Amino acid sequence: MNFLSKILRRKTDLAEELNTHLRMAVADRVARGESQESAERDARREFGNVSLVADVTREKWGWLRLENFVQDIRYALRQLWRTPGFTITAILTLALGIGANAAVFTLVNAVLLKNLPVADPKALVRVGDAYQCCVNNGALADGDYALFSTETYEQFRKNTSEFEELAAMEAGFNFFNPMTARRDGTGSLPASSVSEFVSGNYFRTFGLQAQAGRLFSEADDVKGAPVVGVMSYEDWANRYNRDPSIVGSTFWINTKPVTIVGIAPRGFYGDRLSTAPPDFYFPMKQIERLKDGDYVNDPDRMWLYVLGRVRPGVDRLALQTKLSVELRQLLGATPSFSSVHDRPLLEKAHVVLTDGGGGIQIMQLSYTSKLKLLMWISGLVLVIACGNIANLLLVRGMARKTEITVRAALGATRGRVIQQLLTESVLLSVLGGIAALGVSYLGARMLLALAFSDTNVPIHAMPSWPVLGFALSVSIVTGVLFGVTPAWIAAQSRPADALRGGTRATSGGASLLQRSLVILQTALSFVLLVGAGLFAASLNKLQNTDMKLESKNRYIIAMNPQTAGYLPSQVGALYQAIEENFRAVPGVVKVGISTVTPMDTRSNNDPIQIQGQPDLHKMAGWNRVNADYFDAVGTRVVMGRGIGVQDTPSEPMVAVVNQAFVKAFFKPGQYPIGARFGDPGPSPNAAAIIGVVEDTVYNDVHSKVQPMTFIPILQRAAGDTRPLDKMNSFYAGSIVVETSRPMDDLQTIARRTLSAINPNLTVMKFQTLDQQIADRFTQERMLSRLMVVFGVLALLLATVGLYGVTSYTVAGRTGEIGIRMALGAERAEVLGMILRSALTQSLIGLAIGIPVAFYCVRFVKSQLYEITNISASSMAIAVVTLLLAAFVAGLVPARRAASIDPMRALRME
Amino acid sequence: MAKIKYQNRIELLQGTLDMLILKTLQWGEQHGYGIGQAIRASSGEVLQVETGSLYPALHRLERQGWISAEWKKSDSNQRAKFYRITALGKKQLAADYQRWGKMVATIEGIMRAEGGAA
Repeated sequence: MNFLSKILRRKTDLAEELNTHLRMAVADRVARGESQESAERDARREFGNVSLVADVTREKWGWLRLENFVQDIRYALRQLWRTPGFTITAILTLALGIGANAAVFTLVNAVLLKNLPVADPKALVRVGDAYQCCVNNGALADGDYALFSTETYEQFRKNTSEFEELAAMEAGFNFFNPMTARRDGTGSLPASSVSEFVSGNYFRTFGLQAQAGRLFSEADDVKGAPVVGVMSYEDWANRYNRDPSIVGSTFWINTKPVTIVGIAPRGFYGDRLSTAPPDFYFPMKQIERLKDGDYVNDPDRMWLYVLGRVRPGVDRLALQTKLSVELRQLLGATPSFSSVHDRPLLEKAHVVLTDGGGGIQIMQLSYTSKLKLLMWISGLVLVIACGNIANLLLVRGMARKTEITVRAALGATRGRVIQQLLTESVLLSVLGGIAALGVSYLGARMLLALAFSDTNVPIHAMPSWPVLGFALSVSIVTGVLFGVTPAWIAAQSRPADALRGGTRATSGGASLLQRSLVILQTALSFVLLVGAGLFAASLNKLQNTDMKLESKNRYIIAMNPQTAGYLPSQVGALYQAIEENFRAVPGVVKVGISTVTPMDTRSNNDPIQIQGQPDLHKMAGWNRVNADYFDAVGTRVVMGRGIGVQDTPSEPMVAVVNQAFVKAFFKPGQYPIGARFGDPGPSPNAAAIIGVVEDTVYNDVHSKVQPMTFIPILQRAAGDTRPLDKMNSFYAGSIVVETSRPMDDLQTIARRTLSAINPNLTVMKFQTLDQQIADRFTQERMLSRLMVVFGVLALLLATVGLYGVTSYTVAGRTGEIGIRMALGAERAEVLGMILRSALTQSLIGLAIGIPVAFYCVRFVKSQLYEITNISASSMAIAVVTLLLAAFVAGLVPARRAASIDPMRALRME
Repeated sequence: MAKIKYQNRIELLQGTLDMLILKTLQWGEQHGYGIGQAIRASSGEVLQVETGSLYPALHRLERQGWISAEWKKSDSNQRAKFYRITALGKKQLAADYQRWGKMVATIEGIMRAEGGAA
């Protein structure tokens, strides 16, 4: 500001200096005897053009360029201010177009591009590229291993000096039931917490320093060592208000004492992007002391992701080969590969190394294709918005032809005129870009709310530097690109033409370029509308799939007796208490208890063989349930009987299977009831099938229903010799309550009922079954809603574009229309003429858009559920919507044209 | 178009005009109009300095630090911008004058030689 005021002062100084000169010259002349009048005239003549002298003098200051720039900006601002309609439309268009892109880019940047907030993320390498979870055993058909046993990890670490550090981390912590944590003393209640078990060198691998206290190391990751844990900064800050006494204090984790030795650094959200980042990190060897993690000891059970820091200069391909060879040796020694069937699979076993800077990219796997689609869609919206801007600037350029030619006639050079017009369009787009940041923030918040509502996902809507750069560069490119053409066209015009002022031409109005832009916009917005229809139809189909269950008045209470300190031998009494106490609540009809529930995120699978039949090498899911369970979720029995109260722990083990199980394991016509199944091989752990139920959907509507078995919750096979307290499968995961009416207070009742049985029993999650189902469609719902948002946005922009061009046409043809009306044209004819031209452009746009829409279906087919082509109804809706919008856009200017007063129109010239 | 004409003049006269201004200011501080009048008078009304050359030259000299300026009351009690030669300007004047003498002598020599040949 200081600099500017200095320039301004020098400017007035100069004016005064020149003025003094003139006055002195006049005074001299008068003194020599000239009359005042002639003295003034002559002095001025002698002096020459005052402002020109001032100009060339100012040039000597070396500021003229800057001054011109300031002048241009001021002039541009004045111009924009004078035409608020144009300015607001242009800024809004840009803000929406760029803002939508920046919002999507915020998400793309956070999910796909950003590295973990750790030291030198580029040197991190993940062993494995596939998505595998959570605790697996058995041979993989494609041999692409990404999940490893404790044994494999430790061998890798010992034998591979190419890694500076090699860490391991629990794969499935997000899918298991959360654990409970209660701070010692203070009388606080246990809280449900997300915990991840990781190798001792985990934090060192990431190069992290503790925020407070210390991070654990290998010495803590030893069986028998005192159990320690590290708390995340987020949990420390949000739940414990950065209380320094947390460090060194005791926590009761699943009722077991653990010393919290430190706080993880601020911003660290674990080794992967997740909707529920860990609150606690524990050494992996301690898993069996805190929960049912006996797989930590089993060389045949794979439960770890492996990620390491490679030494500089290591050849990754050679390292990959070396690890694959080692993997085959290690797997060959496990029971999984002992069968003849699995031996050939050993040859295929290998690992693929991937960049580990972004951590374990699980969320990325499910979001990449959707985010790419969103980028395309928002990019198309931006193209439509740019079309609008181009059109607006073109129209404006033409409208200002007179002004520009006058300026040219007064001596402004062509370069100067173009510079001025460019300044204006760049200023406009920068203003639009700034407004876009606001839209981007709101848009990103909306996106995050749609994609990750009620989660702790570490993604923030605030535009980051890359997003800021992205928005501003897009807006400046838009401004220059779409400012140059109109500026050039305007600057081409010859002064004489405009000053002659002839606008009486029937060809007057929008140029071919403008019409083409409108047609392109129409076609694109039509494609987006059809897309929105496709996704809405897909979501509708998805939500109305028959999932073979009843969701009305059903509530799911997630809980875990293990976190309250129960041993498997003690859960029988607990389940009985739960059944009795919940049934005593007025309105409760059925109380189901089970390991998993329909449309759950969790699942348990085991290889299965029907006794007396060859091993088919197939897996089946299992779910342990009580007698009320099938009624509680509304699964119907189609053959035999369901699980009943008579199936007590002392009775021989029985099982109910679903229809998919029958189809997978029995030949058509074969009678399943009475058949026995168990682990493959000569297994004593066999159950007799007593009934068949419908294929209730358990995991994913998209894929076929998997074979499932249902076993009475506390029964065990006759030959099972394991100690009772090793029966971790006895731990239930959910209570399913069916009520006779909607009960809003059930959550409070459930909390009270459980803590009355045992204060350590917590409700880990409470949802209606409908909510649980809806949760599984979050991504589809997000896509579908966004498609609608973008489709409407595109239509809105295209409508504005059509309106603008039609208005301009009417303005340009005022004279012509006046003559037509003076010669007897009816108002209706004029109305029809203008409307016809607007609708013609839309129809051409449709003619282009329809085949393009059909062509584009193939790009989104993978995102759609059971929809392979555009339905006639959604096509019709899109066509009607578009034509309606075009009609409205055309009607307003058409009415204006029809109300032209011929006398006034003719007088205007 | 007009602009280009002025610029040409300045270039043509550049070194010379600068020297004449500096010389004029050696007698004492003076405002723009006064400098123009002084050059005109001391050249016997031959040299007429255009304002379009004079003021750009003054501002350029000021920027180079050869002259300094100050707003003061003139004899006729008018506020005017008075220019004064600086120490640096005096050095510059001496150098300019020396170069000028050399150039005149050189050109003179050429002209003489030409005259002899003719």
